Formats: sequence, C-alpha cells, structure tokens
Amino acid sequence: MRLAIGWFSLAVAIFLTIVIQEFIPPLRFLHGARVFLVPMLFCYGALSMPFWAMLLMAIYTGLLTDLAHLNVVNGHVEIALGWSIVVFVFFGLFAHGLQPAFVRGRWWVHVLLSLVCTCVFLALQFVMISFRRQGIFFNEIVAWRILAPGVIAAGLAPLVHLAVLKIAPYVHGPTRLRPFRRIRQ
Amino acid sequence: MSRLNVVLVIMVIIGAVIISSFGTTAMQRLQAGFLSVISPFLKTGSAVQRQIGAMGEGLQTLDQLERENEQLKAENKELRASNQIYRDLEAENGKLRSALEYRKRSIFKLLPARIISRDASAWWSTVRINRGFEDGVESDQPVLTDVGLVGKTTTVAKNESIVLLISDESCKVASKVEGSNERGILSGRRIGEGEVPTEMQLNFLSKKANLQPGQKVYTEGVTKGTSTGVFPSGIFLGTVKSFQARPLDGQAIVEPAVDLSTVEDVFVVVGAQ
Repeated sequence: MRLAIGWFSLAVAIFLTIVIQEFIPPLRFLHGARVFLVPMLFCYGALSMPFWAMLLMAIYTGLLTDLAHLNVVNGHVEIALGWSIVVFVFFGLFAHGLQPAFVRGRWWVHVLLSLVCTCVFLALQFVMISFRRQGIFFNEIVAWRILAPGVIAAGLAPLVHLAVLKIAPYVHGPTRLRPFRRIRQ
Repeated sequence: MSRLNVVLVIMVIIGAVIISSFGTTAMQRLQAGFLSVISPFLKTGSAVQRQIGAMGEGLQTLDQLERENEQLKAENKELRASNQIYRDLEAENGKLRSALEYRKRSIFKLLPARIISRDASAWWSTVRINRGFEDGVESDQPVLTDVGLVGKTTTVAKNESIVLLISDESCKVASKVEGSNERGILSGRRIGEGEVPTEMQLNFLSKKANLQPGQKVYTEGVTKGTSTGVFPSGIFLGTVKSFQARPLDGQAIVEPAVDLSTVEDVFVVVGAQ
C-alpha cells in the first residue's frame, strides 16, 4: 500500500512537472537552457523503489517524455517513441545499484545522479537529432543547454528529498530516509 | 541482479523497440491522445499566465487608456476607409481577371487561435495552440499573424495542435526576395549559430545576389503538380539582415517578421473560402 502511494505520488509529480515545464520560458542568461526536472524525479523513484516498480516507472516516464517532445518533420518522427523508455531503464539500473548508499543516508547520491542523468538524457537527444539533420556539431550554446538543466536539477534535488522526508511520516509513520519501502536490516 | 530482473529488463526493452517501430501516423495519434489529456492543464496554466500578465498591463492611468482609445478609434476609421477601397479594387480585379480568363486565386479562411504553451525542449521550436481537428485544423496547415508567417501545424488533437515554428531548423519554406529574382529555402539556424536564436537562414541563393539589409522575404508558394505546397504564396517571412556569398551559393540571414518568442494570438489557414 505504502509503495503504491509512493509510486502514484511520483507518477503524478512527473506528469505535473511535464505540464509545468511548458510554462517555464527558456533561461536567456543561460543561453536559452530549459528547466528539465523529469530525470531528477525519476532518479528519486529509482533510488527508493523495488526493482519492478522502478521498471514500471521507467516505462511511464519514458513514454510521457517522448509523447511530450515528439517532433514530426515532413511526415517523419525525428526521435521515435520508446527510445526514452530504454534510456530511463538504463538510468534506473544505474540508480538501483546506488540504492544501498542512498537509503543509508547518502542523500547526495540523488544530487549527483540527477546531474548526470539530466545531462546524459539531453546529450543523447541532441546527438540523435543532429544525426537526423546535418550531422553532429558542438558549440558553447549546446554545452550550456546540456549542462545548465543538469545543474538546475541537481540544485533542486535536495528540496525533493526534504519534501519527501516531511511528507513520509504522514503516510507511514516516523522514518529516516526510507521514503517508499522498508529496508531489510 | 536476479535472473527474473534480467528477464524483466529484456522484456521492457523489447517492448520499447516494438513501440519505436510504430508508424508516424500511429505515433501522432498517441501524441494527440496525450495532448487531449494534458489540454485542461495547459489551458488552465495559460489562463493563469495571461491573468498575471494582464495584471501588470491593467495598471494604466485613465489618461493612458483614453489616449489608447482615441488611437484605436482613429485606426478603426482608417481601416474602414481602406477596406472600402480594397472592396472596390477586388471587384475591379475580378472583372479584369474574368476578362483575361485568369484562374481566380483562392482566398484562404483564417481560424483564430491562441498559443497555450511552448515546447519545454531545448532542441525544438514548437508551440501548442487551442484549436484541433474539431475546429477544422489538419496537419501541415500554415499558421500566421497579421504581420507574417509563424509556422505550420504538425500533430493535431481534438482541441489542440502542435505548431512547428519557422525558426526551427527542420521547418523549410520556399521563399522569394522582394525586388529581385532570387529564390531560396528559408529555415531556422542551427543551435548556437548567430546572436539571436530566432534568426533564420535563406540558402541556395545565387552567389551574385548581393541582397541588401531590409529587403523583404515572402513565401514562394511552390506548386507540386496540381496541388500547392504547405505555404501559399506572398506571406511575409522577414527582412534580410545580411548576405554572404559562399563557394557554391549565397546565404542571407533573415530576421523573422513575427516575434516568435512573444506571439500569443495566431491564425490557422484552414482552407479556401
């Protein structure tokens, strides 16, 4: 039951984040970088949930992300639906490996993972559209647009962690870094 | 990792590969469904954003409002007068066309729409509008304002559509330059090229074109057999900012006619009247 509440809360948070991101304009002072918080939220789930729940979350997050950003040009889709699912599964596998450290109180694992996953996701997206267009290229603005969202996500990651810690006692009693499931002692 | 987990991962990846093999139409249908689901949230968010913006605009003095009202009245009179002239000209034009047996150019029906959100992606320039197939919108229809071209529709849901902006690198428009015989393909610039992100490039011009800053660029309206292309001829795209001759062709940098980062109200060209 606790896990189900946690899973659905995170699913709703990811959905709302996708909607809210649409209203956040590009950050001019960061060379047009956008706020992209979905990988950060997904990583939190992957660090807190059992394996099968993480996989379900990867399918849900990947599908939603792809549907939100599907771009059709001259009758062809630039990045096919489903690729984000694969990427989020790999992020999830990586996060799951770090789960023991996270549940023992290493909250910064989530911060680092948010930074890496957000940047890797945007970089992969950029490489894929570059190949489909005129070939790969790289410049300072591209670097800003990949790194800045990662830094923003990493900066906001502790807030998510704190929010979950504040909410968790109301859901399943006093807890210490056990957001969604009990850890086997 | 247990054997069961490995099997689960493989199954999910196979599922993702199967989804990625869907055709464009199926993917667009899924996206249209998703758009319909998030539509109430987008509309609410857009309304809240507008109200916040309107609060700032609403703080005007009576003097300012009176001045604006007078200005609008004068403009209205001027437009009524010019409209009368155009009506006469249209009738005269019709007579002359029939005398010369010209095929009458269709007059397009414009559907007013409002931008409800902008794509949160770092790589694509798209917006979502509050009109869909229920309003008669189809994919690949031009979207414009009274100033010039904005883009074209791609995915169309029940009450929303996605519009690919002309500043996107993948949106290509056949164009002609005013006061010259130059024709080329206008598209958005690659990410990070140029000082202004919405600047566009006009490629495949003649090396000797020697275009001057300020020259206007319009849609060419290419015809494919009996059908016309996406964009009708003569829609204002922008003005030439600079021109450079390259080894094989000429390239002009074009400033868009419409401020694509702030535009809110647009029209979709839904077909001939």
